[in-house]
Amino acid sequence: MDPLSWIQLGAVLAVFIVFLIAPLIAITYRALASGIQWFAFVFTDPFYFALSLQPTSTFPFVTIQGVRGTLFTWVGSDLVILRGFDLGVIPNSLLVASLTTIFSSIIGFILALMFARYKFCGSNFLRIALLVPLLSTPFVGAIGFKRMTIADGVLNTLFYRYLHLIPFRFEISDISAMIIVQTLLFYPIVFLNAYTAIVNIDPTMEEQAENLGASGFRLFRSVTLPLATPGLEAGALLVFILSLEDLGTPIVFVGTAAQKVLTYQVFQRMFTPAGYISEEATALALLLLIISAVIFVVIRKYVSLRRYAMLTKGGIWRPRTRKISPQTALVIYLFCASLLFVALLPHMGVILLAFAGQWGGGILPDYFTLNNFRYIFSDKLTFQSIINSLSYSAAATAIIILLGVSAAYLVSRKKVAGMAALDTLITIPIAIPGIVVSTGLFLMFLPTFLSPIATAAPLLIMSYTVRKFPFTVRSVFSGLEQTDKALEEAAVNVGASKQRTFFNITMPLVFLNVLGGSMLSFIYSMSEVSTSIVIGAANPSTAPMTFKMYTTYYSLGGGTFPAAAMGFILMILQLIMIVGSNVILRRRATPMLGV
Amino acid sequence: MECEPQESVRLKIESENVTKRFANVIALDNVSLRINDKELYTLLGPSGCGKTTFLRSLAGFELVDSGKILFDGVDVTLEPAHKRNTGMVFQNYALWPHMTVFDNVAYGLKIRRVPKGEVDKRVRSALEMVKLGGLEKRTPHQLSGGQQQRVAVARALVINPEVLLFDEPLSNLDAKLRLEMRAEIKRIQRDLGITTAYVTHDQEEAMSISDRIAIMQRGKVMQVGSPKDIYFKPENAFVADFIGQGTFFKGKVTGQDHFLNVTIENGNIVKAVPSDPALPPRAGDEVLVAIRPENFKIGGKAENKFECVIYHISFLGKTQRVQGKMGDLTVILEADPDIPLEVDKRVEVSAEPEHTLAIKLTET
Repeated sequence: MDPLSWIQLGAVLAVFIVFLIAPLIAITYRALASGIQWFAFVFTDPFYFALSLQPTSTFPFVTIQGVRGTLFTWVGSDLVILRGFDLGVIPNSLLVASLTTIFSSIIGFILALMFARYKFCGSNFLRIALLVPLLSTPFVGAIGFKRMTIADGVLNTLFYRYLHLIPFRFEISDISAMIIVQTLLFYPIVFLNAYTAIVNIDPTMEEQAENLGASGFRLFRSVTLPLATPGLEAGALLVFILSLEDLGTPIVFVGTAAQKVLTYQVFQRMFTPAGYISEEATALALLLLIISAVIFVVIRKYVSLRRYAMLTKGGIWRPRTRKISPQTALVIYLFCASLLFVALLPHMGVILLAFAGQWGGGILPDYFTLNNFRYIFSDKLTFQSIINSLSYSAAATAIIILLGVSAAYLVSRKKVAGMAALDTLITIPIAIPGIVVSTGLFLMFLPTFLSPIATAAPLLIMSYTVRKFPFTVRSVFSGLEQTDKALEEAAVNVGASKQRTFFNITMPLVFLNVLGGSMLSFIYSMSEVSTSIVIGAANPSTAPMTFKMYTTYYSLGGGTFPAAAMGFILMILQLIMIVGSNVILRRRATPMLGV
Repeated sequence: MECEPQESVRLKIESENVTKRFANVIALDNVSLRINDKELYTLLGPSGCGKTTFLRSLAGFELVDSGKILFDGVDVTLEPAHKRNTGMVFQNYALWPHMTVFDNVAYGLKIRRVPKGEVDKRVRSALEMVKLGGLEKRTPHQLSGGQQQRVAVARALVINPEVLLFDEPLSNLDAKLRLEMRAEIKRIQRDLGITTAYVTHDQEEAMSISDRIAIMQRGKVMQVGSPKDIYFKPENAFVADFIGQGTFFKGKVTGQDHFLNVTIENGNIVKAVPSDPALPPRAGDEVLVAIRPENFKIGGKAENKFECVIYHISFLGKTQRVQGKMGDLTVILEADPDIPLEVDKRVEVSAEPEHTLAIKLTET
């Protein structure tokens, strides 16, 4: 370890310890210090944990009590509402995350197999189109989805009132809405991970199996599936985490059981009326932290910087894609088209809302207008929030680049004990729910000079830095792994020092990876919700855009349209950044999650 | 160079009891080697024998766990890689894709703050030497494998290194190019008189270019010697087996007259000379009897006679290589292609005791 490495290591460690580990310790300390009665409370209070086992005298001798709510309710004669059961906050969270994961995995894996194995006219276009939900921004998805599916929303008006294709109006609400919105949001993550895993399977592995007589389902079960499993599992676990930490969706489904999930409850109960951080919220946050920590341990097996690598030496890489008959293609088109339609409902909703002046019960808004955008740019606080977001994200991205390149370099090049720990440390932010981080930051920094009440800027910048760190590191790391170490050794051999080699050889070689990765870090900082709305609330004039979207949405007099317009702007920014990043990175790095 | 008197031979590189471990694998086990000035010294061995680790230790990329490395008698064990002034040619050439051929070669000179005019001159002459004059402005992508190899050699030469280090430089080239580059590397090395350590697993390559060869196995040096010595006087069973082809019988020394009498596996007695006259096997010692294929004659009057059934014949042009079976034992010999031989026919072959080596079997 040379001096440069020590400086790099020290800086990365300092930032992560101060702005991630210490706040998490603060939560733990605070939650335990306030006594375990709060834990006892959340596990016995039916609001949090409604389930209990009641002994009975007949088989199976126990019944589960406490399940409230129903799957469907009839309202009047022509409205069916899909709701879902309410089991209490804690089981709800786990149920939503589990079902979202299962549904996303099924859809994602089917798509992955289909596109990895079949070539048909338009398959490339469809494959990319089906990834579009990745562009969804916070609130936006849920707001748009709600507009499309409520009782007098676009779909019901179209299919019930005008086309008479369905016998009653159909609304999705409560827990069901959470699950469906999240599934539509997250299935591309499984799709992407599984697809990458399948196309990266060395074709000769399957050829060998066929050569030995395996075919069809047996080939799939014995060779293809096991080789693709790491990708599938990595995707599924990421979905579970993202579902668990999602705060944007419950915020939108006001007044329904969709808000009875851990993230929203921590958010809502964070401050006591006297302005202190409530012990109840701290206990809940710790619980959420523990759940995520457990999942992180599992996820760690798959999602480190190091990736599952195929051992392939030479040979011809002949992808196992097949042409398919027109009939099969038709089936696939129909499947993809309907999925695409449903998956893009939120986006269509948001775009319509952003340009809507008023919207009664029609398929389209009553009239289109640019007033929402005019409002955004003329309202001082709103415009300021956009500037805030841009500058915080830029600052965070700058720090991420500075530290992220160092971290990736250390993990990739210094094969010494402890680098695995560094890898773990910088992967942690993927797994820690934002609301937990923001609770911790508040607890820790409220009484200090970094107090968010003075200005939210420093804490937000550091929170973005830590939370969006993995995007850049991941990209740079894969760039480094694809860059032969001998290129650096050759420079050292002819006399270049470590520092000189780093700047003359290493940096130019991974420059595009830095650029691509930092674009992702930037845009995901822009659309960060959890810490933005908590820390931003402490000082609204220094709050970022997502905080303003949140308050605008809840403001009296219908803030939905301007909020959607802000979402639209974010969507456009995301589109530019993600497409740009993908063009730059192309085959240099596989995207991690894209959310 | 060949007329230089022996006394003037100077040690250039020494390693003293160098040991290096990776996790629980021992890559270098007490390796002590002495490489003479202006010598082309090859480290040869099967993959995983530690030869590349040793080369990288010379370059300073691996810090050894214990032992010393000296250049010109100066201890460089703890000297960082960029201060060692070695010119290394990597297996995959390691040309920087973001630099032109010129910049690749010039890089080391720029680091040494050589004036620009001289950089130009030296880069050009280095490229001339590897016959790449005129390609300065190309990028590595625009070069063929052989050309990339030459740039890598030029880049290593241009800094006037103390020693040249080659890490399997020819393994990525096709067979024909390999022969050509082999000759060229040897020519440049000889012309410049530059001490060179060369790693390869290809024994033919090692035999054809080396002044001396160190044969390694599992981190240990098994034998050091000229190509000829190693071929004809293998000091142990590993070297005898690893280098070239041969017929091997396990046996036990049961007596000694002018020659050693070795009773081999099938009960026959073979007369042999000790492979290492300094440490000859004694009666009762387990030995390996080794005979090179060219030392057998079909028929013939030599003292060691064997009767075998021909199992396989391969025609090699100047000779035919014959595999014969003697019960479970295999005999490999070369015969004049004019001798009519047929598979499954019985023949008698013989070898002189002087060409029959008894190699003491020790541990491993």
